[in-house]
Amino acid sequence: MQYRNKPELQDRLAAEYALGTLRGGARLRFEAWMREDAALRRAVEAWQARLAPLAEAVPERAPPRRVWQAVERRIGAAPAAAEAGWWDSLAFWRNWGLIATGCTAALVGALALRAPQVVEVPVIRQVEVESRRMQPSYIAVLQAAGEKDDRMMFVAYAPRHSDELWVKRMELPEEPHNHSYELWGLPAKEGEPPVSLGVLPSNEKSTIKLAAAADQSLRDFPALAITVEPLGGAKGGKSSGIVVAKGHCMRFW
Amino acid sequence: MSCGSRGATASVANVDADKNERLKALLAACARRDRPAFASLYQATSAKLFGVAVRMLRREDWAEEVLQECYVSIWNNAAGYSASLSAPMTWMTTIVRNRCLDWLRRPNVEIVLHDDEETGENPLERMASDDPGPLENLAASADARALAECMALLDAKMRQAIALAFYDGLTHTELAAHMRQPLGTVKTWVRRGLERLRGCLEAAA
Repeated sequence: MQYRNKPELQDRLAAEYALGTLRGGARLRFEAWMREDAALRRAVEAWQARLAPLAEAVPERAPPRRVWQAVERRIGAAPAAAEAGWWDSLAFWRNWGLIATGCTAALVGALALRAPQVVEVPVIRQVEVESRRMQPSYIAVLQAAGEKDDRMMFVAYAPRHSDELWVKRMELPEEPHNHSYELWGLPAKEGEPPVSLGVLPSNEKSTIKLAAAADQSLRDFPALAITVEPLGGAKGGKSSGIVVAKGHCMRFW
Repeated sequence: MSCGSRGATASVANVDADKNERLKALLAACARRDRPAFASLYQATSAKLFGVAVRMLRREDWAEEVLQECYVSIWNNAAGYSASLSAPMTWMTTIVRNRCLDWLRRPNVEIVLHDDEETGENPLERMASDDPGPLENLAASADARALAECMALLDAKMRQAIALAFYDGLTHTELAAHMRQPLGTVKTWVRRGLERLRGCLEAAA
């Protein structure tokens, strides 16, 4: 190859490649050459590291939400369409809101929650009629944590044997800048610390991977809560944030 | 050109290091197919990368498509990201810029340049500013400040050629047309500018 043993020329081409002025056929040839020459790759990486900070001066611009939705669809993270009928139905969740409202009185304090009261049977039946396709599962409806605010912020659903928790933002506002929402399981026993179930993805509907199947991962948590944490989640697994939503995690089977 | 107090520089460096570590951890989690981590990564980086793509492509719809491609690629290639070789933002920015360059290579794409003098939107000027007031300047990393100082030392023509190539994805030919100079002259500006930039950054390190 004509460029070998010419370090100056190599470095010049690496610089122009990283800057972007090496184009067309020359760029493609250079990429082929890079694939087989580790020293050349290192030269390019060094130039990319030198020039990349230029990008910091470009003003940030939030992409529309549809970009993330498209990314999610392409990596296969959106819930399966077969069950999406009731999952997407607002009327369905309104019923749940009524159940949850009835129980919210039992939720006292922020993270020092106690076991919820048993949900009344007639209401559950009504829900069952509307959702014959629902498998044995856990369902949680989280409402705003404010005293006079009972908006339904967030719902979560996990089939009993699945390790995927489907989550859906209802009226949960966008995260404060540079923060994440984190979902917690609140143990029944008083004094036991909440356990993180994961950081909420920023999109409207998504899934959270549980450590094990739902009937293992969720069985000890009669209630769930969402807190505001530093970007990427609470440090050391301990919640430091403010509770924005909380609600019962109910078992149906 | 002054560089601010040493204390301020050190704290900026710490913030950079924290952010770097967090992004590295998120990328490592993405490599383990951790979707929530990927969502956090998107949340933390998409506005910056979308800004870069919009600037380079000049059209939001194209930038949206490129951004979507890039995040799918980041998800698929997270396992190949090697933290020892490049900083997370460098790695992701490079993916976006490369994809934009591919896009600009399509034969039917015509680049419409905004005139920086009219829009007052010149990223370099923002970055090179040593005014302690603007938040974006404080948020810029220590690396960016070092680079900005070295860019400021270049001849204006070299600086402009490099900035137009980096931010707007112009080829040598397009640079020559835009700067109304012979092709050879522009090529020399870019080459010498890059050489001097490297010399300056190595001397500063």
